[in-house]
Amino acid sequence: MADFIKHPEVPLPDLDPAPSFSEEELVFTEEERAQIAEYVRRYPTADGAVMRALWLAQEKFGFLPPEVIRLVAETLGIPYAQAYGVATFYTQYYKQKKGRYVLDVCTSFSCQLCGGYDMLHYLEEQLGIQKGETTEDGLFTLQEVECLGACGSAPMLQVTNGPYVFNLTPEKLDALLEDLRAGKMPAFTSVTLPQDEDEMGGNRRSDAPQSAVYETPPVARTLE
Amino acid sequence: MEATNGAPQTKAGDWRSYERVLLPPVRDLHKIDVYEQHGGYEALREALTSDRWDPKSVTDEVKASGLRGRGGAGFPTGLKWSFMPPVDPDVPRFLCCNGDESEPGTFKDRQLMEYNPHLVFEGMLLACYAISAKAGYLYVRGEYADWISHMERELENAYAKGYVGENIMGSGFSCELIIHKGAGAYICGEESSLMESLEGKRAYPRIKPPFPAQRGIWGYPTTINNVETLACVPLILRRGGAWYAKIGAQRHPGPVLYGISGHVNRPGVYEYPTGMLISDLIYEVAGGMRGGKKLKAVVPGGSSTPILRADMIDGVTMDAETLRDAGSMMGTGGMLVMDEDTDIVSWLRRVTHFYHHESCGQCTPCREGAGWLENIVTRIDEGEGRLRDLDLLIDLCSQMEGRTVCALADAAAWPVRYTVTRFRDEFEARCRPSLVAAG
Ligand SMILES: Cc1cc2nc3c(=O)[nH]c(=O)nc-3n(C[C@H](O)[C@H](O)[C@H](O)COP(=O)(O)O)c2cc1C
Ligand code: SF4
Ligand code: FES
Repeated sequence: MADFIKHPEVPLPDLDPAPSFSEEELVFTEEERAQIAEYVRRYPTADGAVMRALWLAQEKFGFLPPEVIRLVAETLGIPYAQAYGVATFYTQYYKQKKGRYVLDVCTSFSCQLCGGYDMLHYLEEQLGIQKGETTEDGLFTLQEVECLGACGSAPMLQVTNGPYVFNLTPEKLDALLEDLRAGKMPAFTSVTLPQDEDEMGGNRRSDAPQSAVYETPPVARTLE
Repeated sequence: MEATNGAPQTKAGDWRSYERVLLPPVRDLHKIDVYEQHGGYEALREALTSDRWDPKSVTDEVKASGLRGRGGAGFPTGLKWSFMPPVDPDVPRFLCCNGDESEPGTFKDRQLMEYNPHLVFEGMLLACYAISAKAGYLYVRGEYADWISHMERELENAYAKGYVGENIMGSGFSCELIIHKGAGAYICGEESSLMESLEGKRAYPRIKPPFPAQRGIWGYPTTINNVETLACVPLILRRGGAWYAKIGAQRHPGPVLYGISGHVNRPGVYEYPTGMLISDLIYEVAGGMRGGKKLKAVVPGGSSTPILRADMIDGVTMDAETLRDAGSMMGTGGMLVMDEDTDIVSWLRRVTHFYHHESCGQCTPCREGAGWLENIVTRIDEGEGRLRDLDLLIDLCSQMEGRTVCALADAAAWPVRYTVTRFRDEFEARCRPSLVAAG
């Protein structure tokens, strides 16, 4: 047999790892089942609801090991292979256990030119880990991600598929880490349109938890 | 070129006194009662209940407005709607609204969905009426989780008021709107990939033809438009296609949400007509270059649109025709501005990394090509490049463009082709010095 077949360059994933959840844990509650049934009603076939159901499962279990994907597939009545295929196609579905907080720092396109890597490296120093790793206490996972659609507020990051934090500085990151260690997620921030600042004197929403403005981006020290 | 830098330009008209229509200055416009007080859902009521309107005349009005898609390709919207086959009562039809917004440099749909969600819903409903669809799916990228919950709240309010659902405003027209949450994949912005994703599959783009109007979601006739495109539709019906057609550049009219990022003093999303001078957008609108630096380059409409050197933007305005003549494209209107200190090689390296990462892997030219683009540009960036690598890159681009299932391969190749040709000296300077002389 050719050498590369015996020694594939890419390590194959463990298709049948030891389960992370016991049989008793692997259930959806009545409400969760009702919610999934509601998702199913939005589509002509149950398949359409698989992404929402995987989101629900990820919020409940924290990540999507094979046994959780199987639970989703069984609940929807679709093949396991299909649910597995979907779960592994999209980057926001976690196939491995992550830290309690996942810090997704954008280093793409505009953020790269406006200090995204400076922020990433600052977090690497503060947390004592490299991108892609999780702190020993299991609190933080640090990731480098592609454009999050907030390029005018560069550099920026997202916390665990949830709130965005805009116009990062080292001081802002220190405060963020402190808040997260105390269990406090950042509040939703509404970014004020520059024209609203000029014409309306500030943010147009009276119900936004907090608002920010577009700021002049910092000078990037490194681009990688 | 009609307009020149500095001189008053014509295409966007007197843009300084432009009054916003997509995001008019109205406090709490995202709330349904405020939206109603400002004429919200009136266009829908008119279209559904008055004799003046039927699906065909709505489509015709959109055609007359000259509205062109804001999702990247700039395709005429009314024309796209008219590709839908004749109505067959046994065959369901669908609308998709593309809120995937993952093209690097683009961040306007998010602000539109936050500040004027009902305009998007009303536009979707009008489009559904025009193409006789019974349901419209709004596909939003998963990262916008907070904005998805915001819009779901507002959509519930629209349902509660009877603007969406069964027998809307007693007109006999019924239509469901559904918000679909993505989960992080740039490719889902491509229309056929988006449909695969909606169907609960791995989002591999489909071979076209058949086009979505023939075989879309679940194999049924489907029309797909961008969020900002559909948000223009209620305005067109409210004020007339002729009114819309007069805004901005003649052959590419309308308001645009320009997303300006990079080395400017005041980045952000700005609403102005099409046909704005790039130089006005940078120096007048976005507050000029950060730190008074000189401009080096502009990427006018998202990462896949060809880069323009500072000396190429004289008199260039933001509309499809002018940008094409200038050697680029309008794309999404998400403009990246770079100052004189920008390391263009390292920047291109990161762009190639993006496309390599986002290729779905179906087509060999894209999967392998995007990887090789990244490898070669990385090698040049590391100072290990050979001069012949530059021609190799161009050759590789030619092997990728137009040879794949979807346009991602082209989107990956264009930045490389145009950045390498337009900044060739900087790439040459980075190649290994001993080998430059030898070629
Ligand atoms: C790789 C790729 C990514 C795309 N991403 C988006 C996107 O994020 N949002 C969008 O509206 N259109 C995107 N498009 C364009 C869509 O395929 C489609 O043309 C568009 O949504 C049509 O809407 P419009 O006619 O209103 O512009 C993308 C196209 C390609 C090839
Ligand atoms: S061109 Fe690239 S992204 Fe598009 S289908 Fe082919 S491999 Fe996938
Ligand atoms: S480049 Fe970072 S959000 Fe777009």
